[in-house]
Amino acid sequence: MDKKPVLKIRGLTKKYGDVVGVKDLDLDVYLGEIMGFLGPNGAGKTTTIRCCLDLLQKTDGEVKIFGLDSHENAIEIRKRTGYLPGDFGMYDDLKVKTILNYLLSQSGVSDKTKMHELSDRLELDIGRRYGNLSKGNKQKVGIVQAFMADQDLIIMDEPTSGLDPLMQKKCYELFREERDNGKTIFMSSHILAEVEEVCDRVAIIRNARLQVVEKIDSLKDKMGKKLEIEFENDVDPKLFTMEGVEDFNLDGRHATMIVTSNLDEVIKRISKQNVMNMSFETFSLDQLFMTYYTSGGKGR
Amino acid sequence: MNIGKTMLMELKNSWKGLTLFLIIVILLIAGFVQAHPSIREGFEEDKLDGEDNVEVKVREDGEVTVDLSWTYWAEDKEVDDYTVLVGYSPSMIVPLNREDGIETTTFSYGLERDDEGKIPELYFAVIANIGEDRELVGMETSFERRDSLMEIWGVDMRDIRGMISMLWDMWWVLLIGLYLGYISVNSVSKDFEERRMDVIFSTPISKRQYLLEKFTALALYMLFLLTVSGLIMVAAVGSLGELNSVSSTALFLSSVLSWPIFLVIIAFSILGAVYLEDSRKAIGFSFLIILVQYGINVVAGMAEGLEYLGSYTIISYWDHEAILFDEVHSVGNFVFILFLAVLIILGAILIFEKKDIPV
Ligand SMILES: Nc1ncnc2c1ncn2[C@@H]1O[C@H](COP(=O)(O)OP(=O)(O)OP(=O)(O)O)[C@@H](O)[C@H]1O
Ligand SMILES: [Mg+2]
Repeated sequence: MDKKPVLKIRGLTKKYGDVVGVKDLDLDVYLGEIMGFLGPNGAGKTTTIRCCLDLLQKTDGEVKIFGLDSHENAIEIRKRTGYLPGDFGMYDDLKVKTILNYLLSQSGVSDKTKMHELSDRLELDIGRRYGNLSKGNKQKVGIVQAFMADQDLIIMDEPTSGLDPLMQKKCYELFREERDNGKTIFMSSHILAEVEEVCDRVAIIRNARLQVVEKIDSLKDKMGKKLEIEFENDVDPKLFTMEGVEDFNLDGRHATMIVTSNLDEVIKRISKQNVMNMSFETFSLDQLFMTYYTSGGKGR
Repeated sequence: MNIGKTMLMELKNSWKGLTLFLIIVILLIAGFVQAHPSIREGFEEDKLDGEDNVEVKVREDGEVTVDLSWTYWAEDKEVDDYTVLVGYSPSMIVPLNREDGIETTTFSYGLERDDEGKIPELYFAVIANIGEDRELVGMETSFERRDSLMEIWGVDMRDIRGMISMLWDMWWVLLIGLYLGYISVNSVSKDFEERRMDVIFSTPISKRQYLLEKFTALALYMLFLLTVSGLIMVAAVGSLGELNSVSSTALFLSSVLSWPIFLVIIAFSILGAVYLEDSRKAIGFSFLIILVQYGINVVAGMAEGLEYLGSYTIISYWDHEAILFDEVHSVGNFVFILFLAVLIILGAILIFEKKDIPV
């Protein structure tokens, strides 16, 4: 992957009076990737995103988008950036079409093809009045407006909230397609499955601080497998004191362990015993994320 | 560039309210002007019987003397002499004084100042004695009688110019000012409250341009409203056949030249909305300023010795009386108020640029 950062955050700090929204955050989002931004409620996702778009005045730190300063060159940046706010409203009395046309022309784009394409794709009737739309349909308007101007960077705050699972799938497809067409996407979420399915990399934030930034694939590699074995005879626990085995636990003849590497050697050692029963499961990302969510440590 | 889009959007989003208000204003002006003939009659009924026949002069040389003089034409009748009644009220149920057998058409009455040193309010009735008949020549009063409304506004309601002047004074700033304050605040704080700010500012528009476009949209609407008002005024006065007592240019300009006053109202309402965010607080702020200004102006108009207060209000810079009665208007004042409006809106921009956009 081209390692050119489109979005570069250094030491970002935002305080709301005494409340710390985000503290000392460093993050790079590279060209052509989908970066997920994951964290529990109140972690600082929205704060970070809104600082990037100069909607909030940052307390400290630096944000560069396309190499431009987020505050000094905010207008220039917004010309090339689509944004879906986490919580937004539009003009209730106006037709969706009118609103989208306004936003599109504000961005200096006259070509409406993409606007219509996206609305059709997400099954959004743009002839209706915005105020009469359901929550999910309003969210679709947000997604359409984020992508319709065909900008280089798309920033989205919880893009699929309020959408039904089928529509969520369609959105994931859309996001990936846009990425494949060279767009860079930075999106927050607290749906783990969403990040797992759609993102190339993920940054996890908790208590206003960044916990980890990792490729989804390498996260999965690191995850390890949970092994549960019922032995016929007593075994020596020392047998499994080896590299790649963690959390070994022996309760009578019932053993549990987590294998992160050296799987082949572990299996060979097990095979020398008489095994009555055995289960083997891959950690779900959920469980992994939980460790970041709750412990605040560096994960496993 | 994308200039004017936000402005158009503002008008698109609020055209219903703006149109409705325009209609109300048109009806108000037309109705008010149409009411002029009956209002004039009402004021004329207030006259004392035959007051035009009797003249009163108050003379002071140590003592106070009231000199009455009158004229009376009795058809084919010889007036024997006159009787003058003096009383505390025009009804004179019990006259204070009675002077019979006056051969001339003049009469002088000496009186004393009251405890406060003022000339007492006395009424005089002159009666002609013709044989056995008594006929009223006319009545007059010692104090300078003015209409109560004239007292407040210093204009004569029987003159159409006076009435229009009162419309501008009483209704214009209050009705239009308050409504304008309300929609100006809403044009910005509704974007906060209905959570549109994030969407609007995800497009390449600066906070400065945003506020200037809101301001311009409302300013243009106001100019339109004042132009229409001016035209309706001319048409309404014309339909009464009164265009000989006031020129249509003066009528039209007396409306249109109030524009900068309203620009100031738009500007500080937007400033309030940007600073306070909450629309109810901002509307309160805007109304407070307008009402205080209005109040000061009313007090300055009523209370003697407080006239100077009026010049501290922006309203006083729109001198519709000078326009209507003398057909003059100070360009300096116009420009000064325009400048003030721009200054306030620049202040609003400064505040907004330093501010987080709330979610
Ligand atoms: N305007 C504000 N004034 C004061 N504190 C705020 C403000 N906005 C956010 N915060 C605080 O900043 C912290 C981060 O909030 P933020 O909205 O960024 O979280 P988030 O990760 O987006 O959460 P969620 O998943 O609920 O959307 C929270 O503690 C929140 O209470
Ligand atoms: Mg959020």
